[in-house]
Amino acid sequence: MPYREKSNLLALAAMLVAYVPYFAIVAATPVESAPMPNLPLLGLFAAVSILRMFVLGAGYLWFRVRTPDDVREKADERDRDIERKSMAVAYYVLIFGMILVACIMPFTHAGWSIVNAGLFAIVLAEVIRCIVAAWSYRRSAA
Amino acid sequence: MSGGAITNQIRTLRFLAGEMSQAELGQKIGVTRQTIAAIEAGKYSPTLEAAFRIAEVFDKPLDEVFQWVKGG
Repeated sequence: MPYREKSNLLALAAMLVAYVPYFAIVAATPVESAPMPNLPLLGLFAAVSILRMFVLGAGYLWFRVRTPDDVREKADERDRDIERKSMAVAYYVLIFGMILVACIMPFTHAGWSIVNAGLFAIVLAEVIRCIVAAWSYRRSAA
Repeated sequence: MSGGAITNQIRTLRFLAGEMSQAELGQKIGVTRQTIAAIEAGKYSPTLEAAFRIAEVFDKPLDEVFQWVKGG
C-alpha cells in the first residue's frame, strides 16, 4: 500500500476516533440554551482535537520507523492528481455546509448549535477528503 | 465525444530493456513504483510530460509506447 494512501487512512482514522464521540455527545446534549462561550463543550472539543493530534503523531512516527524510505518519497503527479480531486470534492462539502450554517441556521437555531454545525461541516469535509483520496488510491492500484 | 482507451506497451518494453523493474523506471522519470504499476495496468493516464519521459527512457516514439484504442 502506498505511503500516501496509508497516511490518508491514518488521517481518516484519527478524525473518526476523535470526532465521532464528540458529535455523539453533542447530539445527545441539548446546548441551544447554553451560555456563550460554552466552556465545557469548548474544553471537550479541545480534548478531542488533542487526541486526534496524538493519534496522527503516533501513526506518523510508526510509519517513520517501519517504512522510512516511503516517508521520504516525494509526491508524484498521481499523488498530486488524487490530492486535487479529493480537495475539490471536500471543497463542495465545506461550501454547502457553510451556506447551511451561515445563511439558513441563523433563522432556525441559535448559539452553540450553529458553532457545532460549523465544526461538523469542517470535520465532514475533511473526512470526505480522506475517503475520496483513499478510494482513488485503491481504484488506481494495479 | 467518442469512447476509447489508452493502452500501452510498457510491460513489454521493460522486458526488452533487460527486465527493468517498475521502481527503476519510476526513478528514471520521477514517479513512484505504484504510479508506474497504475499506468501499466491502464488505471492511471500519465501527464503528457510523463508519457514523453517514459518514451525517452525506452528510446521509442510516443506512439510506440502509448496507443489510443477506439471504443465501440
